[in-house]
Amino acid sequence: MRLRKIKEVKANIPTSSMADIAFLLIVFFMVTTKFDVDRTRVTLPKSNVRAEVPKGSAYVVLYKEAGIVGFKFSDGDQMSHGVPDLSALETEVVAVAARDSTTPFVIKAEGDTTYQNIDDVMDMLRQSGVTDIILLTEQRTVGDT
Amino acid sequence: MGKLTDKIQMQEAEITSASMADIAFLLIVFFMVTSVFSATKGLDFKLPSDDENNAPAEREEAIAFKVLEDGSFEMDGRPAVREDILPYVAPKLERWPDKPIIIYTRPQAPYSGMVLVYDELRKTTLPVDMGGLGIAKLPNISIPTYREVREYERLFGVNPFEQAVQ
Repeated sequence: MRLRKIKEVKANIPTSSMADIAFLLIVFFMVTTKFDVDRTRVTLPKSNVRAEVPKGSAYVVLYKEAGIVGFKFSDGDQMSHGVPDLSALETEVVAVAARDSTTPFVIKAEGDTTYQNIDDVMDMLRQSGVTDIILLTEQRTVGDT
Repeated sequence: MGKLTDKIQMQEAEITSASMADIAFLLIVFFMVTSVFSATKGLDFKLPSDDENNAPAEREEAIAFKVLEDGSFEMDGRPAVREDILPYVAPKLERWPDKPIIIYTRPQAPYSGMVLVYDELRKTTLPVDMGGLGIAKLPNISIPTYREVREYERLFGVNPFEQAVQ
């Protein structure tokens, strides 16, 4: 009796769909990505109501260093850079507002900044013709005071 | 003449796609490293423009909030906590959705105190099942700047936002 030869199956991992998965992931990240124009670490105030910051918003950052409030600014395209004082900040804000008065401005500030500093910035923004501002916050969770 | 033995070898046309997956994964890694998800949300807020004829909020008709230096606040002259705000303003806003609300923050008070009050008032527009009041219209909140406060002081001799409502 003749023995039948066992057919050999070649072992392989199908990789044809890998590129599809990869491109799907690329599209996902491209759509959800927002380039961070400011990476200053601050302890933001907390809130329940939080709206998405539109792409291209300008940033005014108030941070504290050794108890002294410092300012940073970004026009929404460039990375944020330090500005020495409020009048220098105003020059930057006016330049952005003159280009497009509908640009939203994000105020990113430490939660324990005294309100006087925030008022100075808000008043300056208002004088510069800015109307849309967003106070950057963190999500308030259960148990937060 | 002899028989032609050299057959022209046919070469199959193809586009090499072996490196495509490498490029794709390189792009994935790039977007993963540069992407930011959660840190870009906040409270939106409209500043009044100077050219508009803004009617000043009537102090007597308004619900007045005063944020103090320790981050606590007073609601119509009485100390209050966050949970008190919505039950207090809800019946007033149902009767009059345009009722002015004034948030005055003392210069040395923390910014987070003002955000807390403003956030709670903005919750009036959230649906009821999310802890809001389900009011479609944004409440008429005004936040006086110190420039305005100084102007009032010049006119009346006192800071009206520090005065208790009679």
